Amino acid sequence: MTEKSKKRPKNLDLLHIHLPIGGFVSILHRVTGVLLVLALPLAFLLLQQSLQGPEDFAQVVALLSSLPARALLLFVTILLTHHFLAGVRHLLLDLDVGISRSGGQLGAWLVLGGVAGAALIAGGCLFL
Amino acid sequence: MKTMSPRGSGSAHRGLGEWLLQRLSALYLTGFAVWLVARLAIAAPADYVAWKAWMTAGGVRLAFALFFLSVLVHSWVGMRSVFLDYLKPLWVRFVTQLLLAFGLLALAFWAAQILLVEAHG
Repeated sequence: MTEKSKKRPKNLDLLHIHLPIGGFVSILHRVTGVLLVLALPLAFLLLQQSLQGPEDFAQVVALLSSLPARALLLFVTILLTHHFLAGVRHLLLDLDVGISRSGGQLGAWLVLGGVAGAALIAGGCLFL
Repeated sequence: MKTMSPRGSGSAHRGLGEWLLQRLSALYLTGFAVWLVARLAIAAPADYVAWKAWMTAGGVRLAFALFFLSVLVHSWVGMRSVFLDYLKPLWVRFVTQLLLAFGLLALAFWAAQILLVEAHG
């Protein structure tokens, strides 16, 4: 690689470009997606065990009621609602809904607001 | 300058199919999530007997079978597009995609087992 090509700017260097709110919500959609895939085996395990018998069911309930599990459930709820709402936003963008500059920004803020609302509700249900 | 061709990782001509699969599975997952949350919020099964009876009912089992299928397809397309965007050397892509394929295949068998054994009345 020559000196010149080394100095060539990277257009998508995420640490140096200013990411608009729509881009921020979009990249989070990817991050939450990857994390949710990683959570799948755990969800399968809990679903399977909960159906194996009354004692196994009680064990799953007890496990999910513990404080660390409730914190994890809150986190997963945030991941899920973000991925869900940002995904719906992308589907609407496919239909040209909210595709304008201001519409895109509004949609992104609505996604973040929805996530905050869901987090509050889930937090209330889990910890109060 | 030679650019990285998507052909190298075998994705040529598959873009539209993946695009469509991702959206179709997304539509099902959206409906499934809304239904599941609403159902559990309105009347969550209170104990093991109610939970087992609900999960083994034909319609619920079918809804879960389609959910498993959708979520695994959705995971494959989504993870693959993330890998293709951020993993550069071809061998890294190859290894991660292979691991992903085996992992999702294992989850598919696992899901089948849950449906045929645990969620079978």
